[in-house]
Amino acid sequence: MLHVQMRLRLCAWISAVFLTATSSVCAHHSVLGQFDPEDRVMLSGVISKIDWINPHIYVHVDVENESGETTTWRLESVPPAYLYKAEVTQGMLMGGGNPVRIEALRARDETQYLGFIIRIYYPEGHHYQLSIDY
Amino acid sequence: MNIVRNLWISVVVMTISTTALDLHAQTAESVQRGPDGHPDLNGTWFNGDGVTHVRPLQKGNSLCIRGCEAETPGPPRLTPDRPSYKTGFLSIVSDLDNRQVEEDPALRCFPPGVPRIGPPDKIIQIPSQIIFLYNDITGSHFRIVPTDGRSHRTDIGPSYLGDAVGHWEGDILVVETTNFNEDTWLTDDGSFHTPDLRVVERLSREGSSLHYQATAFDPAVLTEPWELRPRVATLTARELVPAPPCIEQDIDHIVDGTHHDNVR
Repeated sequence: MLHVQMRLRLCAWISAVFLTATSSVCAHHSVLGQFDPEDRVMLSGVISKIDWINPHIYVHVDVENESGETTTWRLESVPPAYLYKAEVTQGMLMGGGNPVRIEALRARDETQYLGFIIRIYYPEGHHYQLSIDY
Repeated sequence: MNIVRNLWISVVVMTISTTALDLHAQTAESVQRGPDGHPDLNGTWFNGDGVTHVRPLQKGNSLCIRGCEAETPGPPRLTPDRPSYKTGFLSIVSDLDNRQVEEDPALRCFPPGVPRIGPPDKIIQIPSQIIFLYNDITGSHFRIVPTDGRSHRTDIGPSYLGDAVGHWEGDILVVETTNFNEDTWLTDDGSFHTPDLRVVERLSREGSSLHYQATAFDPAVLTEPWELRPRVATLTARELVPAPPCIEQDIDHIVDGTHHDNVR
């Protein structure tokens, strides 16, 4: 019981720290808890980097706006294990530095340039659907 | 008359004995063995951890990785295994479960503990010890299981994956692990444990299948030992790769508090 109490104290401490830091601590880790299926965007740009990390990879896409300014979007996707099972590599996703179009969901918390990938379309005509189409 | 009867009985007994010997021989032959005579558990074992619901579907030159399941229906996801807690601890489990996203250590890339980590992804077996390797969503992990009769270590502190020792019971490798810290859960639903958690895993090989079963003992909080549903991993020629690092980046952007299923 002592250990349980210690654990609860630790939990309370962690909660306090995170509640101070962010209001999203009591939040969800799933896609729909973070991204809005009603707020879609189609991005055109070049994949400049992929963070091949757990629990989800992040795809960085350089997108040029009408003013000629480039913004870099960070797009979350599936765990690396999904892609390993599908035998999709980092290089395959990168698309050789060619322009791609990416269908994505924007972040619910309105963080700019943050999204979740549904599909990536490549100029050669093929595409990867990485997520359930929410 | 007695001679005939005795002869008939002898034939029956010999037939039964021969059949039994054949069965024994078949069983023995179906178990590949190492130089020490124990079953050979070496190999890379695919247990479907976390990706059984991923069924990629090729469409021309395109590939659908998720969201195509309706076209290739697979087995339904199993009902989660859950330990049974004593009444006085149910509210704690419920509270942790309700706040899973903020409390589940595995969601923040901490090692998942045992038995939550599941069957090993690769086994390296030498006469004095067996090494378990894991490619987990929380990162790469290993466990060293001495099988030379030594006792649990006394020179190390509690850890996420504990301290393991193993022995053979016939053709079954039995691994007992103790000395866990309190920063792991048994499942994804707030199933905490005490530092007195003891886990016994049983592994056996049948052809290209690795049978895995685990039981968690934590009598201070559980009503009874928790026996996990047995699992089967399959020998694969696809070599294990190191897990990419686990770097959590989602928490600050999450806006609701629904449960994150992470059934293993």
